[in-house]
Amino acid sequence: VNLVTVDIGDYRVSAEPGDVIVTYALGSCIAVMLHDPVRRAAGMIHYMLPLSETSPEKAKARPAMFADTGVPLLFHAMYALGCRKEDLVVKVAGGGALYDDGGLFNIGKRNYTILRKMFWKTNVLVAAEDVGGARSRTVRLHVATGRCTVASQGEETPL
Amino acid sequence: VIDPARVAASVRALPTPSAAVARLHALARDPRSSAADLDATIRPDPALTANLLKLANSAHFGLRHRVGTAREAIALLGVRRVCEVATSAAFAPLIPDRLPGYDVDARAFWGHCVAVAVLAERVALAGDRGARRGAPDLLFTAGLLHDLGKLAVAAFVAEGAGAILGRVRSGGPFAAAEREVLGVDHGEVGALVAEAWALPPPVAWAARWHHAPAAAPEEARPLCALVHVADALAHSLGLGADAGELARAIDPEAARLAGASVRTLERVASESLDAIGEMTRALGAGGGIG
Repeated sequence: VNLVTVDIGDYRVSAEPGDVIVTYALGSCIAVMLHDPVRRAAGMIHYMLPLSETSPEKAKARPAMFADTGVPLLFHAMYALGCRKEDLVVKVAGGGALYDDGGLFNIGKRNYTILRKMFWKTNVLVAAEDVGGARSRTVRLHVATGRCTVASQGEETPL
Repeated sequence: VIDPARVAASVRALPTPSAAVARLHALARDPRSSAADLDATIRPDPALTANLLKLANSAHFGLRHRVGTAREAIALLGVRRVCEVATSAAFAPLIPDRLPGYDVDARAFWGHCVAVAVLAERVALAGDRGARRGAPDLLFTAGLLHDLGKLAVAAFVAEGAGAILGRVRSGGPFAAAEREVLGVDHGEVGALVAEAWALPPPVAWAARWHHAPAAAPEEARPLCALVHVADALAHSLGLGADAGELARAIDPEAARLAGASVRTLERVASESLDAIGEMTRALGAGGGIG
């Protein structure tokens, strides 16, 4: 097994059957995971913030930092591997929150809301998700099988 | 509950930072001291000097030219800034490979320290208001060292891990669970460590009150509020995730005092990520971090 690590604010795709794509400590960030069982390819983004208007300069240098500029890039990277949109299985994890009644740190919720809006507009269905809560998550996606796991609070469960 | 004598013994048993650090802070407070005094304090410690230079050249400190000697660093960054960098440089090698109980390795722990220091300063200085107000004295150092109590209390947290994690899973902050199970939390112990190491008061303040800034005395509150917000932001972004994960409560009054809006936090986060990564990596193998 070859681990392909996705850093915060980055995305990776792979069509190598031996690869496992992993990202660590999602916190309020969100991972979108794509798997194509026909083409046997997979991709993952670990974005940090909802909107690129927060820092247009950063968005130019690191588009995968933001949902609105990053998620389309991930889909296009999959298409470049020969994937078709209708074959993609989409999973989502992360978007955690602190105990914050004032809502100052609702980055996770904002990250999730913008993603749902984008998916609704572009007719993308989410097959499975594990979002929210005072939890940090590490997710793994197996390129060959599409098997996906979420590790959090000392337990690893399939998604 | 842990016997306070065991906690005190654990604080005493920690490795201590280079003796140069306490001396540097004394020099920084003394208006008669000169750059030459500072240089003479740093230079005899080659390990400290090496780490100091690696950190001083990080983008966050904004030097236009790389510095190659402590003397140059003092000339370009100034006495107070060099004291802050030197304290960080002396702290890094004291971080153990793993912190039991917190389930975090040296690299992730150091990354979190750096993240909180950088974020605290950038939140403090954000916007026109921040530029006018400036950052509280020693904010970078206090942010970097806010979790130093974890070094002394980790073994006890490991002993009580079952009970602590049980409370966290049923929906409580990690620091509160430490207090309930152990009778102390890492903040309180951190203040003891700061005093044992003869570090300046803001370090003990941030350690003691970063989870409860409302309890801090008035003079310490702005600093503690900023470290509180920066710590929350760092954890929110997954910078230094440990066993506590996101189980921490935000004090809305501290957020207001820190001048932090959703917009400010998101902008600071996006614009700090690369600087944090770069400074974290500046002390790689050989710098004392994993």
